[in-house]
Amino acid sequence: MKLLIREKIGPRCIIKEDGQKVYDEIHDPLAHGDIVTLDFREVAQFASPFFNFAIGQLLKDIEEEELRKLLQLENLNETGRLVVQRVIENAAKYHGDKDYRKIVDGILRQQAKDSD
Amino acid sequence: MAIQIINIPRINDTPADFAKLFVIWSQALDSSGEVVFNLSECAFLRPNAVAFLGGLARLLQARGTSVDFDWNTCRNGAVKNNLEQNGFADKFGHPSKTRQGESIPYRENADMNMNEIMDYLTDSWLGRGWVHVSPKLRDAIVGRVWEIYNNAFEHSRTGVGVFSCGQHFGNCNDLILSVVDFGQGIPANVRNFFHSQQVEQDQVEKLSDAACLKWAFERGNSTCPQGVARGLGLDLLREFVHLNQGKLEIYSNGGYAIADARGERFINHSHPFEGTVVHITLRCDEMLYQFRDEAEPPF
Repeated sequence: MKLLIREKIGPRCIIKEDGQKVYDEIHDPLAHGDIVTLDFREVAQFASPFFNFAIGQLLKDIEEEELRKLLQLENLNETGRLVVQRVIENAAKYHGDKDYRKIVDGILRQQAKDSD
Repeated sequence: MAIQIINIPRINDTPADFAKLFVIWSQALDSSGEVVFNLSECAFLRPNAVAFLGGLARLLQARGTSVDFDWNTCRNGAVKNNLEQNGFADKFGHPSKTRQGESIPYRENADMNMNEIMDYLTDSWLGRGWVHVSPKLRDAIVGRVWEIYNNAFEHSRTGVGVFSCGQHFGNCNDLILSVVDFGQGIPANVRNFFHSQQVEQDQVEKLSDAACLKWAFERGNSTCPQGVARGLGLDLLREFVHLNQGKLEIYSNGGYAIADARGERFINHSHPFEGTVVHITLRCDEMLYQFRDEAEPPF
């Protein structure tokens, strides 16, 4: 399956709603083991909300290694590649069930140290 | 109806100048009648002040307060020229045409119109030829700066939108953009989020505004509803500003964050306000930029 992003979304891959449109189209084929190609020809501007939803979300139920094999990104410039890389790294480490009590305790300990 | 006259002094963009803005915010919100901004003592207004005052005026109006900028008191020709040039004057009772110059238009965004905002950043802010960068690099920069607007609309719960202004300073070759909202503020948002995640209120209340800002800056941290990994916007922007040897400053509630060549600092300041100001300074030095895959030398 090949998706021409410029046709589907436009020259700017910026907002999460557009990322969701891409996700909705590619998730099932990827989950079934199909190769999906996203062609970013003539797409010039990128931001993380788009990729969080288009690609980062895929890691909820597709392993990173598998995703890297199945999802091909063509004509993505250096800016886009950097954002995608960051999004994938972030999503791979993401856990929806963080212990925020511990996190706040940690912040308060650091706060106390900083004020000493 | 009681009229509150608020004097606008000279306002640059040091922390002390931002403190002046937050004091003005406090004075204005204390008013129950009409607010008149007096410009007789104003010898200079940097874009942070323009964006902030414009947004404050709209906030007051949304709350039913009548607002007036007394243009008869604006005797400083350079200030008046700048406010006419960037369109601020025309929006606030002094009909005038915007003009090309070193100013970047004052802008009000009631909602998140992505194409309008990106066109503003691409054409009116960065695309004016002050920064000699390739189109590819220009697009990379505006993509990072977009993250500020996204955060403002997604997190702030602003009722009056987002306000921007910028300027190019030819003498030091800096390009500045200020983006302001009068929503809840990042620290308040972070505390509300922790509380919603079952952290006890008394623990949450101990968190300083600076500590909340620091948490928000960290890669992967987000107060958005769970489900999709996020929290990259500030980190990406900070990384770019560091590469550029520029400066990223954020004032939100009583917290102040600065990221520059020296690193990052998170400080509590003495004039908390409800809202967020993001203030970026980029250096217009093309030697600082180059993509690995760019064939041509920068300039």
